[in-house]
Amino acid sequence: MTRQDQILTVEVVDSEGDTFTLREICERGDCHAEFVIKLVNYGIITPVEDAPEAGQWQFDVAALNRLRKAMRLQRDLKINLPGLAMSLDLLDEVQEMRREVARLNHRIRQLMGEW
Amino acid sequence: MEFKDYYAVLGVSESATPEEIKKAYRKLARKYHPDVSKEEKADEKFKDVGEAYEVLKDPEKRAEYDQLRKYGARGDGSFEPPPGWQSASGFGGGGFTDADASQFSDFFEEIFGGGRRGFSSGFGGGGFRQSMRRRGEDVHARLALFLEEAFHGCDKQVSFTVHEADEHGRVIPRHKTLKVKIPAGMREGQHIRLKGQGSPGIGGGEPGDLFIEIEFAPHPHFTVEGRDVLITVPVAPWEAALGATITVPTVGSRVNVKVPKGSTSGRKLRLKGKGLPGKHPGDQIVSLQVAMPEKHTPEAEKLYEQLAEAEKNFNPRSKLHV
Repeated sequence: MTRQDQILTVEVVDSEGDTFTLREICERGDCHAEFVIKLVNYGIITPVEDAPEAGQWQFDVAALNRLRKAMRLQRDLKINLPGLAMSLDLLDEVQEMRREVARLNHRIRQLMGEW
Repeated sequence: MEFKDYYAVLGVSESATPEEIKKAYRKLARKYHPDVSKEEKADEKFKDVGEAYEVLKDPEKRAEYDQLRKYGARGDGSFEPPPGWQSASGFGGGGFTDADASQFSDFFEEIFGGGRRGFSSGFGGGGFRQSMRRRGEDVHARLALFLEEAFHGCDKQVSFTVHEADEHGRVIPRHKTLKVKIPAGMREGQHIRLKGQGSPGIGGGEPGDLFIEIEFAPHPHFTVEGRDVLITVPVAPWEAALGATITVPTVGSRVNVKVPKGSTSGRKLRLKGKGLPGKHPGDQIVSLQVAMPEKHTPEAEKLYEQLAEAEKNFNPRSKLHV
């Protein structure tokens, strides 16, 4: 069996599952702890449970994704932290609204008898 | 090799000022940024825009490019630089686009060279440091599943790109394909991790992980909210009025459901545990929708006339105050 034919078993990551420490999220996000602390202070990313000491913070994979997105937006579009916080909130809202529009369109098609 | 018209990419004229170029770049970067845009091939367009700006923002590179542009593409659109061509400006990184330098086109590489040299993003533009031990990059990918696949679990092929260094320390993108076993009951937005399947580490560092975010392809009948599966089911007026036992599809099966007497359109029935499976399985929510036959027999019309008489106090438009 070649490597490509091998079927790999995955690990499901959810909010109750694995989390990353501040050090781990910095390593995975390729950034400094100060940057992550600023993102937390601006509410851009949120630790799974609030802890007074940054060293006790734990982040889930959604926070890691958001950190990387924030870094790309800052790098590519030169957005400052308040701008990043607003952009990411608006992008989340747009995504949720797109999903809602898709759901409603689906429902309208069903109600119109196009099933 | 295809000739790249950087002026056309940015939508500016050959005589555009640096200010106009910067303005066009900023506008297009916002438009095509892969984290923002939903346009088709936004990723590719964003890279093209970044590459065009990398050249046109730099007076030296722009002058060299203009010279080559005059030298021109061949009739078939292909391009070869003049014999002995060597860029005086070279690729120095920096600016908005340094982190994506490894993904610049063959055309850029041929003309200015060095775009793929060194780990510019992680090492502040410096070269490849052999002595540095460093964990490989995590890779994030998305995988669309049919609802049935998420419900039952499945084997899926996942393709993604990792970045690795060749023997000269140049960052080379490599496409990888893996077959993965997706467990039953995955929800939209949930992540799965494949340890060690991301980009290789540097200097003996461990490889990064592959994270896959699950998306659902639209289903013709079902929609999903969290763990619950929603479906609208048509019922005949007499089924709604008198109550009935009807057959309702579930994901991958069907069940008999009792419609209560006196049901109306929009009434919801909950089928416990018939949603996405898992430790806390979801429910299937059935919304009833009263459907009318397109044509009625003369007998049915007579019965409707009797019904109209029997229910003459019912005003379906009472909420409209008419």
